[in-house]
Amino acid sequence: MSRKIEKNDPYAIDFPKRVSQIQQEMARENIDVYLGSRLRTLSWVSDAFCPWRSYVVIPPLGVPTVFTFVIDAARVADDSWLDEDHVLGYAPMGGMDQITQIADFIKDQLKGKTGRIGVENGMSNYLPEGNLTHYEHEAFRAALAPSELVNAHSILDRVSLIKDEGTINRFRKASRIVDEGHKAVRDALSNGGWKGMTETEVAGIAALAMRRAGSVWEWSFTGGNEIASGYRTGFAGGACTPPTTKKLKAGEPLMVDIHAMFKLALGDHSHNYFIGRATKRQLWHAQNFVDIVKLTLKTYKAGVSPVTMAEQMMDFAEEREFAEYMVPGFEHGIGMLGDEWRIGMNSGPLAYWTDPEHCYQENEVLICAMQYACPQENIGFRYENPIVIKKDKCEALSKFGLRIEVLE
Amino acid sequence: MAEKHSYLSQEWCTEAEKRLRAELTPEKMKFLSSSVAYVYVDCPDGKDKYLFFKCENGEITEVSVGHGTPPDAEFRITGPYELFARLTKGEIKSQRALMSGKLKLKGSMVKALKLASVADRISKVLGTVPAVY
Repeated sequence: MSRKIEKNDPYAIDFPKRVSQIQQEMARENIDVYLGSRLRTLSWVSDAFCPWRSYVVIPPLGVPTVFTFVIDAARVADDSWLDEDHVLGYAPMGGMDQITQIADFIKDQLKGKTGRIGVENGMSNYLPEGNLTHYEHEAFRAALAPSELVNAHSILDRVSLIKDEGTINRFRKASRIVDEGHKAVRDALSNGGWKGMTETEVAGIAALAMRRAGSVWEWSFTGGNEIASGYRTGFAGGACTPPTTKKLKAGEPLMVDIHAMFKLALGDHSHNYFIGRATKRQLWHAQNFVDIVKLTLKTYKAGVSPVTMAEQMMDFAEEREFAEYMVPGFEHGIGMLGDEWRIGMNSGPLAYWTDPEHCYQENEVLICAMQYACPQENIGFRYENPIVIKKDKCEALSKFGLRIEVLE
Repeated sequence: MAEKHSYLSQEWCTEAEKRLRAELTPEKMKFLSSSVAYVYVDCPDGKDKYLFFKCENGEITEVSVGHGTPPDAEFRITGPYELFARLTKGEIKSQRALMSGKLKLKGSMVKALKLASVADRISKVLGTVPAVY
C-alpha cells in the first residue's frame, strides 16, 4: 500500500522543501551533485524504507533519484514521494551495476563538465550507518574522474538536526504505539500470567500489539524488542539485550525495551518490572533508578549539553550512593530510520561520537537513555524514551507511567 | 530458399520490420509504448552501427538501422557486434549476455524487468530473418 501523504495530514512532510534546503547547502559548499549512501540520508530524503544497499543522487536543482537493488525498487517507489522515474534499480548486469549506473547518471547531471561530488564517508558504532565503503569510494572515484569526491555528510547532518512538525508528529505516534505494546505486555504478565513465559514470548506479545496499532516493524538492530530478565538485566553497559528463551522467574527483574516504527519515525521505550516479588534491596535499586530518571527528564531543555547533563546526574547518583551502578551517559541520538546514536554534528573531540558540548536546541529529538547495572546482584534497569527538546523543558513522547512495578 | 540479407543492412531491416509487424501483435507486445537502441560496437566494417525499435501501444512503429549515434530511446544496449550476432542467431541468451557484463544497458532497470519477455520475443523474430553475419 502506498504511503503517499496528503499535505494537510498531521504526518505530512514537505519533502521538496527538505531537498531544497540540501541543495542550498550544496551550493554554499560548491557541491555539484550529492551522492548519499547512509540509511539516515535515504530515509530523510526519500521517505521510504531502504533495507538494501541504496544511494540517492541529489542534483543542484530538482528532484533526487534513489538507486536501490532492483528487486525492491518498485516497492520503494510505491512507498516514497518520489515517482518511479526517480527510484531506479541496480542489478548484476552490464551497465546496470551500482557503480556504472550511478556514475553514468552523475555524469549526465554534470553535463560533460568536471564537478565536485559530495559523498558520505566516516565511521559509526552503528552498523547500518551506510557510509561509502573504501571499495565503493575508489570505484566511484575512478568512474567519475576527473571529478572530485568530497566528504559532505555534514550537509545532511545539519539540515536534519531540527525536526519539523510532521516528523515530530510521526515520533509522537510511534511512541503511542509503543505504549500499546507495553500495555499488552503488562496485561499478559499480570496475575501470574508471567509463569512459564520466556523473554521471546514477551517480545512477541509486544510486537503483535504494536503491529495491531500500526507499527511496521520492531526496527532496532539491537534485536528488535529487547527483553532481559534476571542476571541479563545487569550486564555492565547493558544496552543491548535481544530476547532469549530464558523463562521469567519469581524474584527477578525484567526489562522490557520495545520498538515500533511509524512512517520511518522510531518509538523506543523501556519499562522495568520485578517478577512475583522483590527484596528490600532490589526496591532500593529501583527507587534510585526511578528518581534519577525523573530528575533527568526534568533537566532536559534547550541550552543544556550532554556533558552538563552527565555531570549533574552523576552528582545526584553520587550523593545517593549509587553512582557505581549508573552508566554515565543519558541519551542517544534518534531520527528517521538509520539515524541513531550520535547526537548532532560530528564536531566533538572524538571523531564520529557525540560532541559532549553539543548545545541542545528546540525541536531536536533524542532518546533519553539511561542504564543502571549491578552485575554482582544480577539486577539492572533501562529507561529509554524519545524526547522533544523545548525551550524550558522536554516533551517525553511515551506516556507509559514511570515506575518499577512488582507483577504478582 | 529465402534470400539472405547482410545482417543490419537496410534490406535485413526491412525484412525484420515486416516479420515483427506480422508476428508480434499488440497483445503479444503487451500494448507497450517504448523504444530501444542497440549499439553495435566493432562491426565488420570497422564502424559502430545501431538498430532502433519503437512501438506505441504495442504497434511497432519504427525499425531502423544506421551508423553513428542512434535516435533517443528509453533503453540503450551497447555491446560488441559479435555478441549481438550470436544473440540474434540464438547461440546465446540475452540474460547471459547482460549478466556477463559484455552488454551494457542504459535505462530504468525496473522497467527493463517488465519488458524482458517482450525483448525475448523480438529477438526470436529477428533470429528468423535469413542473414549473412
